[in-house]
Amino acid sequence: MSIFSSFARAPSESPAPTIATPPACAASVFTANRVMKIYGEHIALAGITLSIPAGHVVGLLGRNGAGKSTLLQIAAGLVLPTYGTCHTLGCRTDLLDSPELTRLGFVMQEGKFIEWMTVAQHLAFTASFYPRWDHDLQRRLATQLEVPIARKIAELSPGDRQKVGILLGVCHRPALLLLDEPMSALDPIVRRRLLDVLLERLRDDACTIVISSHLLNDVEKIVDWIIALDAGRVVENSSLDDLQESFAEWTVTATDAAPLATFTEPFIVAQQRTDRQARLTVRTSAPDAAEAFATTHGVGVQTRRLSLDEMFPLLLAAQPAISAP
Amino acid sequence: MPPLLVINPHNGVPAYRQLMDQLKLQIATGVLPAGAELASTRALSTELTLNPMTISKAYNLLEREGVLERRRGQTLVVRDRPRAAVATDKLAHLREHLAAAATMATQLGISRPQALKLFRETLAAPTPKTPSSP
Repeated sequence: MSIFSSFARAPSESPAPTIATPPACAASVFTANRVMKIYGEHIALAGITLSIPAGHVVGLLGRNGAGKSTLLQIAAGLVLPTYGTCHTLGCRTDLLDSPELTRLGFVMQEGKFIEWMTVAQHLAFTASFYPRWDHDLQRRLATQLEVPIARKIAELSPGDRQKVGILLGVCHRPALLLLDEPMSALDPIVRRRLLDVLLERLRDDACTIVISSHLLNDVEKIVDWIIALDAGRVVENSSLDDLQESFAEWTVTATDAAPLATFTEPFIVAQQRTDRQARLTVRTSAPDAAEAFATTHGVGVQTRRLSLDEMFPLLLAAQPAISAP
Repeated sequence: MPPLLVINPHNGVPAYRQLMDQLKLQIATGVLPAGAELASTRALSTELTLNPMTISKAYNLLEREGVLERRRGQTLVVRDRPRAAVATDKLAHLREHLAAAATMATQLGISRPQALKLFRETLAAPTPKTPSSP
């Protein structure tokens, strides 16, 4: 066991074991089948079944303690599930070895580094594990993200530590890049540059990126798939476009003297109302739902789309009304 | 000079939808004339800090709608369409804006003759909303 856990699963030089693994779906870079993770009394993941399609930028959303970090650690093979099986890059996560680990990048929330090394030394050390380490990319990213390359790790600010973690996770050009809250300590300028960096990886390597973040406004620009966790369960797993096109806020106005009725349509997630006006939050993918509603009730309807920030609490609210058809 | 596109990631309208709407408007207004080449998925993704999948989704849908066409390999260009089809598109754009205005008129309790009169007056002397414009 190594002294620094981020490298505890660094690829060994030994050949991969020739144990046959069940083929995972070719288009999925990660699959979880009824995965539970229990820490003592605490259930971190309460039976998760999902697959992450290749080539997407997945936003992993959820409140503190929802299980985001645990899921990422399981995907990286750092933690094994208590029950259930996972496949990462087609390989069972308890059998991950060089062929997969050299194509996997993991940026931890609080990276564990070798504190006495300088950033440059650490980069050289980590690079030695990866035959495909891209030194040009490393130089470029160090400049772009303003990484103090000559400083000792122990002396770095939390923001600079986070940048080092990103460099260490990205420069071997992984096919699957897992980022756990990678932006929490970065200033807005560097956050924006990090998005550029991630998009460049996407264009050059067609990699799959899974990014957990509380800063929804930032990731909203690049994510195209949303997985939401709540209390260790998957409560949402769909494309961002589909989510945005199904959620809306309707402002409903009475067009005659009679006060508004109480609306009971199943697609209404929430409503606030007075006699003359109601504000409904709806979830429906029918394109003409608002027109049909206006006709049925004889009311005026103005619709507005919701941002990810506004959708987030609705995804977590366990209401039967919002369950997908 | 690439046409100006601005994607607002926070207004809730899917980015591919915003991109389609803006490109269609540029085509309808002649900013992008028939035969004009579109920026590559890669270039536009860099420029707008957008997922390349978002851009190819918008391009593919516009191609399917017959607004764009692929020429010699990969280059996407604005399709030369019959004048009637272009005119229909222009009206569709205006209808979309008027629909929102019509709902507002109903909510404000403005009568139809009043609303029509106002539209006629606005057409004759449009007053720009932005204070910065001359």
